[in-house]
Amino acid sequence: QAILCLPRSFECSQKNAVLVPAAALGVGGVLLYWLRSGRKIKTIDMGDGWWGSGERPFKGKEDASIRPFKIETSDKEIEDLHRRLDQFRFTPHVEGAAFHYGFNSSYLRKVVAYWRNQFDWRKQVEELNKYPHFHTTIEGIDIHFIHVKPSYVPHGQAVQPLLMVHGWPGSFYEFYKIIPLLTEPAKHGLNEGDVVFEVICPSIPGYGFSEAPHQKEFDSVATARIFHKLMNRLGFKKYYLQGGDWGSRITTNMAQMLPQSVKGLHLNLVFIATQGVGMLIRTMLGAYVPWLVGFSREDARRFYPFMQKNVYDVLRESGYLHIQATKPDTAGCGLNDSPVGLAAYIMEKFSTWTDKSFLHKDDGGLESKYSLDELLTNVMIYWVTSSIVSSMRYYKENFSKDPTLTAHERVGVYVPTGIAAFPQEIVHTPRVWAKNVYKNIITYSYMPRGGHFAAFEEPKLLAQDIMQFVQKVEQL
Amino acid sequence: ELCSSLAGIMLLEVFLVLGTLLIYFLFSKKKEETLPFKDGWWGRGQKPVTKEDSSIRPFKVETTEEELSDLFRRLDQARFTEPLENSCFHYGTNLVHLRKVVSYWKNQFNWKKQVEILNKYPQFKTKIQGIDIHFVHVKPPRLPEGQAAKPLLMVHGWPGSFYEFYKIIPLLTDPASHGLGDEHIFEVICPSIPGYGFSEAPHKKDFNSVSAASVFYELMIRLGFNEFYTQGGDWGWLICTNLAQIAPNHVKGLHLNMVSVSKLGLTHLLSVLLGRYFPGLFGFQDEDVRRMFPFLRKGLYRILSESGYAHIQATKPDTVGCGLNDSPVGLAAYILEKFSSWTDMEFQNLEDGGLERKFSLDDLLTNIMIYWVSGCIVSSMRFYKENLQKGIGTQKHEKLTVQVPTGIAAFPNEVLHTPQAWAKKKYTNIVSFHFMPRGGHFAAFEEPELLAKDILQFVDKVEKEQLWKKK
Repeated sequence: QAILCLPRSFECSQKNAVLVPAAALGVGGVLLYWLRSGRKIKTIDMGDGWWGSGERPFKGKEDASIRPFKIETSDKEIEDLHRRLDQFRFTPHVEGAAFHYGFNSSYLRKVVAYWRNQFDWRKQVEELNKYPHFHTTIEGIDIHFIHVKPSYVPHGQAVQPLLMVHGWPGSFYEFYKIIPLLTEPAKHGLNEGDVVFEVICPSIPGYGFSEAPHQKEFDSVATARIFHKLMNRLGFKKYYLQGGDWGSRITTNMAQMLPQSVKGLHLNLVFIATQGVGMLIRTMLGAYVPWLVGFSREDARRFYPFMQKNVYDVLRESGYLHIQATKPDTAGCGLNDSPVGLAAYIMEKFSTWTDKSFLHKDDGGLESKYSLDELLTNVMIYWVTSSIVSSMRYYKENFSKDPTLTAHERVGVYVPTGIAAFPQEIVHTPRVWAKNVYKNIITYSYMPRGGHFAAFEEPKLLAQDIMQFVQKVEQL
Repeated sequence: ELCSSLAGIMLLEVFLVLGTLLIYFLFSKKKEETLPFKDGWWGRGQKPVTKEDSSIRPFKVETTEEELSDLFRRLDQARFTEPLENSCFHYGTNLVHLRKVVSYWKNQFNWKKQVEILNKYPQFKTKIQGIDIHFVHVKPPRLPEGQAAKPLLMVHGWPGSFYEFYKIIPLLTDPASHGLGDEHIFEVICPSIPGYGFSEAPHKKDFNSVSAASVFYELMIRLGFNEFYTQGGDWGWLICTNLAQIAPNHVKGLHLNMVSVSKLGLTHLLSVLLGRYFPGLFGFQDEDVRRMFPFLRKGLYRILSESGYAHIQATKPDTVGCGLNDSPVGLAAYILEKFSSWTDMEFQNLEDGGLERKFSLDDLLTNIMIYWVSGCIVSSMRFYKENLQKGIGTQKHEKLTVQVPTGIAAFPNEVLHTPQAWAKKKYTNIVSFHFMPRGGHFAAFEEPELLAKDILQFVDKVEKEQLWKKK
């Protein structure tokens, strides 16, 4: 700058002697600024919230105790359920409907018969209680979670804390089969580099045994903040995160909010909103020259034909999302009153989102991947807690805002990320698109089989992918 | 030389372009084809070889103690959820207000009395294309010397029923007693769409609006009517439109209180973008502009926020209807929400959804009871899938026009407003188009007198100018 202030009476060559370094400085300055601003990681503002009923009490600190909790049931509850199952009014389906009109009512009759006569809720409650449950109050509402530690840890082995978040219409119960693979891998023949976890699975507020927010606007960012507070309260400063469905969005928000607390983020579903003409063009080109737009062969196989897989299929499967994002109280009302209606609504997703070809089957292919006991236990969690309406409100709270303004689209994710792409997931997100948001992808795996409910359906595959991801991160 | 050949080439190009345009316009003029009648067999299993029983049997709605006690048991055991603080009807039906409705339903609503009211008009059933079709048939109580009653087919929609017409029927069959003059007196036929109320539900796939129109056409022929008027809104709009496309020589006039256009093109896009500033250019009247703009709020966002039900019903009707057929409270919440927002979108800001401002609880619950006692909610929802799943704007009948004389009553609180400029591309013979002063989607239920008057003036025009003979 001192050079620039020199008088202009210099001759041409001397002017060049001045201009060139000046330009260099200018360019250098710009470059430096750009580098620094690129490096400066934007985070989501943490903020604060109050979700209890009425006004937030300004006096006194919140009760931060962690209280053990056991799921209970009663004769009254079971009798009430049985009465409702007995009085179910069934509608015959049209001929040849299979699962094309939704849950097939002939198969539903069989499910109800099993539910009434063979399903043992007391036994399932014992099964649910096999892992330690707790409640703690955060931001005015009771948060439920299970916390499973390895029963035996060899001397000197590090135990990684892992927070796993479920989605809709799932619950903490989806993780019951994968938990032992993560807390005691050796026992289950998984020795992926001696990685051992203690697992925390909370219930999203409004789902299952977590209290529902009493105030409006409880979205994934609020959930992320509450889960950070939970991990903090449990004494963890740095931890791993895993999620699919809403869990994917919540854990992503967590990584965007406090990246310094997140050692690694593992996802089995990636939400990317298609933005911009550029992406549209790349999509169209990708059908013919996938390599040109960064799609792998497997990407192309899973992603195309575009209209069919990404537009028609999505339109066909997203009616629930549309009504829940606009009129959740209407949509959920009858389901909280009719257990069979609730079961049909929830289990339809366990059919179609596990394998799209299940639409053509009269029984929706449900028992080819799950047991009725498992499926009904998940439904019962929604039933006994009356949480279906509040679980649906989550859609409205998250989708009502202008999508281009949502935090997690604007803010990138810089923590080490691992993605497990399952073939029957509703929509496939190629790595090159995921990179638009997830800037630090350490692993991206094309899983050989499995759909949306990865932990529930393919626990071993998912566990292996989580472990190989964590192992890589630990070595960084 | 170069110049003249260049000019010659340019001239040739101009002629080519003009010629192509001319040919395009000549051949692309909307075909005035009729829609083919859609025959079908909707009964269970195979169509029997014997001739179908075409008798018309009288029908009365009945109820039993068992039916009532089952209903009360379910109302008693209803499990409610607390609404969010200050949410009014923004999240759907307000579940605190629903409790009040349920309390009225249990303690004051008298279903037996309502059944008597339902039975005050003669009802019948007859088998057509394999399924039992229910309909109300009301003849005028008195006819002046030499005058014949004009047959009028009125078709309901979802989540309505034949009951929506109970207040307007006397205004049309006996207008003189209601101060409406006696030049035109109607005998009114209100069928229930197959799958709705007391009409049997189709057992086969693909029963769409054209199927319903064909069935209703057969009904009118069976009743001995060679020429008749039709009136409808909601699905009734589409079914009556299809009927006019199938049998234009039998439909004297088509009156609609709702119009929807599915063939959208560049002109529509342009008129949405610029119509507010240059209404005249796009054929918009001031009232059109008032009702349609700002377009994002009144058009796009409204469609998105109000069409969730249509989306899920058009894709998974058996799933969404399942619980509603088992929980009367759930059914009531689902149906009442529409009677709130489709009567006036501003009602969403009210704690009680404005439900009792335009309707009585007895009327609303009677409509819901029709869905409940007939167990038809699931089949009523399937109609959405059969009509919409292939996509909007793709079906043959959507591409054909309507030449039958048409009258349109445009109510201000209808969910979406269709201006005459758009409607006339499909309805090529609009005889009357009126902006109604008040009222919403359920026009016959909410503003029977206004609707009756508009129907009467329309029929008057058609009859005076013998318009049906001019097509």
